[in-house]
Amino acid sequence: MTNSFPDLEEAQVILITGSNTTEQHPIIATRLIKLQDKGAKIIVIDPRYTQIAQIADIYLRQKPGTDLAWFNGLMHVILRDNLANQDFIKERTEGFEELKAKVADYTPERVEEITGIPAEKLVEVAHLYAKAERSAIFYCMGITQHTTGVQHVWQCANLAMLTGHIGRPGTGVNPLRGQNNVQGACDMGGLPNVFPAYQPVTKDDAREKFQQAWGVEKLPAEVGMTIMEMMHGLENGKVKAMWVMGENPSLSDPDINHVNKALQAAEFLIVQDVFLSETAQLAHVVLPAASYAEKDGTFSNTERRVQRVRKAIEPLYGSKSDMEIICLVARKMGARGFDFETPQQVMAEINQLTPSYGGITYERLEELGALIWPCPNGEHPGTPFLHKDKFARGLGLFHAIDHQPPAEEPDEEYPFILTTGRIMFHYHTGTMTRRIEKLDREVPTCVIEINPADASRIGLNGKNKVRLQSRRGELIAEAKTTERVDPGVVFMPFHFVEAAANILTNPALDPVAKIPEYKVCAVRVELAE
Amino acid sequence: MDQRLEALLQTIQKVLPDVDGIIGLKVNAAGHIAPHLFRKEAPAELDGLAIWPKYPTPDTLRLIQKAHPGAKLGMVVRGCEERGVVEMFKHAQVDLSNISLIGLQCTREEAEFCRCAKPYTAHAKLTVGEPIEGVPDPVTEGFLAKTREERLEYWKEQLVRCIKCYGCRNVCPQCFCNVCALEDEKWVGTGWLPMPLPPMYHLVRSMHMTAKCVACRECEEVCPADIPMAIQYRLIAGDVKEMFGYETGVSMDEKPPQLLVLAEGEFERTGLPH
Repeated sequence: MTNSFPDLEEAQVILITGSNTTEQHPIIATRLIKLQDKGAKIIVIDPRYTQIAQIADIYLRQKPGTDLAWFNGLMHVILRDNLANQDFIKERTEGFEELKAKVADYTPERVEEITGIPAEKLVEVAHLYAKAERSAIFYCMGITQHTTGVQHVWQCANLAMLTGHIGRPGTGVNPLRGQNNVQGACDMGGLPNVFPAYQPVTKDDAREKFQQAWGVEKLPAEVGMTIMEMMHGLENGKVKAMWVMGENPSLSDPDINHVNKALQAAEFLIVQDVFLSETAQLAHVVLPAASYAEKDGTFSNTERRVQRVRKAIEPLYGSKSDMEIICLVARKMGARGFDFETPQQVMAEINQLTPSYGGITYERLEELGALIWPCPNGEHPGTPFLHKDKFARGLGLFHAIDHQPPAEEPDEEYPFILTTGRIMFHYHTGTMTRRIEKLDREVPTCVIEINPADASRIGLNGKNKVRLQSRRGELIAEAKTTERVDPGVVFMPFHFVEAAANILTNPALDPVAKIPEYKVCAVRVELAE
Repeated sequence: MDQRLEALLQTIQKVLPDVDGIIGLKVNAAGHIAPHLFRKEAPAELDGLAIWPKYPTPDTLRLIQKAHPGAKLGMVVRGCEERGVVEMFKHAQVDLSNISLIGLQCTREEAEFCRCAKPYTAHAKLTVGEPIEGVPDPVTEGFLAKTREERLEYWKEQLVRCIKCYGCRNVCPQCFCNVCALEDEKWVGTGWLPMPLPPMYHLVRSMHMTAKCVACRECEEVCPADIPMAIQYRLIAGDVKEMFGYETGVSMDEKPPQLLVLAEGEFERTGLPH
């Protein structure tokens, strides 16, 4: 997030898109609801009429995969009605003329044709967002899991820069991250192209710095592989071994029939997890990992806020913390630099090598409770919001982007759009939550959502099961009729192995971030019995 | 040090030699307040004695007694916490015969935060602080000023936010049933948010709070959706007072109306239709 919650309390307008906030980020939803109680307006733009959409002051429903168009439409209206922040554009940005020329074509009427969002509603939202003194955007996987995912994020940035709603309290572009420490994993270089703190592996000085610190001669200068590239690598022999930690690609990656073939092709597959996940069942070696309650360390949350996690019990059943496992294996392999006894010692190294974490020490966390990076030194109070006087690259760059359709659109053979996601009662592939009786009682198996008009067209009534087929595979699931989704759209949660949504999904990737298009693929829906 | 905290500390120090421990609140290193059993063996722990924010301590007593049934304990109670243990006593959840209650009277500020009608204790022999009168509850009054239609709209707006986290039930010192109707699918549907209308979860919970709710408002405090559910409980408590003359926490012996035991012979067949 560019901003953090203490300053977001000042937001007057909150634009949420692609986030089912109450179900997926309930604590953040609590904050937003409290803001609404104090008078802030909530706008939700989402293909599903979710709980947060029902709570919202204004709800717009777009056709899945048409987000680039409504962003352009909002910006068209903001420019047409002179609501842009010209000072901000002049002083802080570049590329404005190209953006202006691009969005000129996106009249609300044209956007309505592409997205299904009524023109007058789009105008209302544009005015509300632009006219407020402080407006904040929140987004989540609903806009990133597309072949145009990176462009959607650029559009969020475009909208914020066009109106100057960034770099101040109560504004910004705020992605809601899906795991308690995914931010920390990225900060620590858990990405194929960077060292910790996003220092590129392709830069000589960055490599030299880490070579020196780690006492190694040569760190690779090439960008590594993303997940889907690794899976292809397993198949074509470029990748021989894979070590999966706390992830369950057997269920969570797109086109899992294909993924499972790839995993089975691995010469050596190691899985490190708290439970024997579907992926772990394919492994040659399973390393039992300790849960959050059995280990010490820090989590970096979606706000960039670093907080301590404290061991409540000793690891059960011979499991070990991830840190301990990695260090033990590394030492066995003869690697130097893995002689850590405690996470605090690891943090001391992080303080040395990771500029944004320079001042985030255990001593300070003990004293202050939390610190928000960037926090370069021991006196620095942390940075609750980013981009105050300038952007990381200097001037903020507008990207002029045309609407592009998703990689796979419905046709006669596969007439429905399938959009996948999550529900309140389960988490990701259910490795943890499906083992909990009370959650299983709420939702014991997969239920897809289908519009009543479509349901009656295919002859669905009561508790019938449906067969879903895509170009990748097919499955059978229970169906619930609901106007939560539009006609022509079915929604399906991906938590359930017995009806695994990712059998159906399209492995087409965003060309930059390589994120798969989980949110749109074409399927056929028929009665299963 | 705050005067009331100082006085509480002195009272605790006076009681401590005669008991196995005293339930109160303590601040930890990270600045968080949590319930704590202060013992004479560790007098230094009293440096961390705290009074605010409050915490649902009646349940702490229940849990400690479950593990140590015979323990002789002291317990710091505000008005609502005292009402809480009194009602739990009547439902056989705690034993008060071995418990010394130390009453902590709430300040006006605290009472206003809780919209509390009775920010004082009634049974505790030892007390700390000056008792004050109850304060108005503008939230409930605001609700009562609405028309029927407005009230329905109000609840629809409030309840659409519920994420069925069960936090209100879990924190409630009066929710101790082994089998909970809120987990019975016949009453409360599963697997869908927001929960459909009529709001069975909240209606069932309201009914089960009848003659039980002690107006501590812990439910509202933990609610992640900020639902002012205590309005309901408060209005029902008013009805119970009117119809049965019963108020929670007032008397140690008066049984709650739904706990009336009918002795043999009190029933009479009247020939009314089944």
